[in-house]
Amino acid sequence: MDTGFLTVLQPFLKYAGSQPITAESSLHDLGLDSMRAIELLFAIEDAYQVSVPDELLNDATFATAGSLWAAVKSLLALATR
Amino acid sequence: MTGSTVTGSTATSSAVTGSTATNSTVTGSVPAARDEALAEVLSATAEHAAETDATAEFPLDALNAMRSTGLLGRVVPAEYGGGGWGIDDVLAVTMRLARADLSVALIFAMHCQQAITVVRHARGALRERLLTELGRGKCYLASVTTERGKGGHLLSSESKVAAEAGWLRIDRDAPVVTGGVHADGYLITVLAPDASSPNQVSLVYGARDQLEVSVLGGWDPLGMRATHSVPMRLRGQVPADQVVGQPGGFRDIAATTFGPLAHLGWAAAWLGAATGAFSRAVGHLRSERGRRQFDPSSELLLTRVARIRGRLDLVHALLRHTAGVFAVTEPSAPPAQLLINTLKVQAAEQCFAAIDEMVELLGLRDGYLRGSPLFLEQVFRDLRSASLNYSNDRLNLANGSLALLDQQVHLV
Repeated sequence: MDTGFLTVLQPFLKYAGSQPITAESSLHDLGLDSMRAIELLFAIEDAYQVSVPDELLNDATFATAGSLWAAVKSLLALATR
Repeated sequence: MTGSTVTGSTATSSAVTGSTATNSTVTGSVPAARDEALAEVLSATAEHAAETDATAEFPLDALNAMRSTGLLGRVVPAEYGGGGWGIDDVLAVTMRLARADLSVALIFAMHCQQAITVVRHARGALRERLLTELGRGKCYLASVTTERGKGGHLLSSESKVAAEAGWLRIDRDAPVVTGGVHADGYLITVLAPDASSPNQVSLVYGARDQLEVSVLGGWDPLGMRATHSVPMRLRGQVPADQVVGQPGGFRDIAATTFGPLAHLGWAAAWLGAATGAFSRAVGHLRSERGRRQFDPSSELLLTRVARIRGRLDLVHALLRHTAGVFAVTEPSAPPAQLLINTLKVQAAEQCFAAIDEMVELLGLRDGYLRGSPLFLEQVFRDLRSASLNYSNDRLNLANGSLALLDQQVHLV
């Protein structure tokens, strides 16, 4: 995960406190609910200039910081191809 | 009454065990094999419904009939002594009970929601012990998910438990516990012992004899009076293996089982109550006195009747469709979650609108007066709770977000 991604992510995790966010961190445990998820989605799309397709908008994508970053990376790879 | 929602991933299987037949009919009737037990419960319900509504007391006779007939154990797989019922069976019986009394139907549906949660998620020694107990059909399970401070919000908790040498020490304050005074056991949401955030919630089983149970207040609501949903405090120690599912793993249970079953069960109960009221209203319109009172060829009357019937058919179709989706789909995608939330919201709105229109149609004497044999006014009061019982506002907020996540608008 790049630090820019963590910067985008951090404000949406109200229970993250000062603990480090790792790839295994559960986004739900750190405070992401469905309403915050949509705000996070918009923030990611703005930051990376990508459009996340509906197929990726599921619990698996939003499970951990790592799974969400993997989805963003896959979209960035497609965009630069 | 209590609350749950579906904001996470959704359902996987409708039959409790994954293999049970779905043999209820679209009319909500139940197969003959179950008629005897159901008839006994219905008889006890009908006999005391007016009294429990008037006094806001729990329908103990109906519950005891559910115990003595084994109705409480029907959703447990046959290998544990139960009846192996599927979701459709529960919905059919709930609808039928609600025709007589919505409180009793809700009590039954919520017990089944708890029992099916145990069937689908309890593991190991707890599974063996608890399913054997539940399979006998005598054990009534209540749900303890509400908390002061967070209201009915399902997926978080501020109630800490202390873990000590294989035991969990519970001290749980809950503002609304349906039937809690008469329950034999409780499924309780608590913060997982090592939780680092309020979202790490465990579901813990506590038997009544493991807990010190105190009632903290009364229950005097507009409707749903016989649910006796009092504030309670539960204190005690239970073995650490009495966590249902993974410690901290209630979110998965809520998303796949607990939430969808709540919405399906409530919708069936509300629809049954509105259906029973409509049947009595139509019976009155067709009676000799009714025909003197109402002109059956009146266009206003026919149009009103059609609109009410249409609302019932609409909710019924949505209920059956949603139960079908719940049976076969495993979507963590938003469309199925939207559907399950929409069922709850629409059933609440449409069933209340239907009873409101019935009161309007039948007028002051037959529609509004207490003591009318049609008891539309009781159903009106009862159904007023539907939008509040896990607030429609909260579900609409969740559904607004989910709808924005589904740009292609996949209808399931």
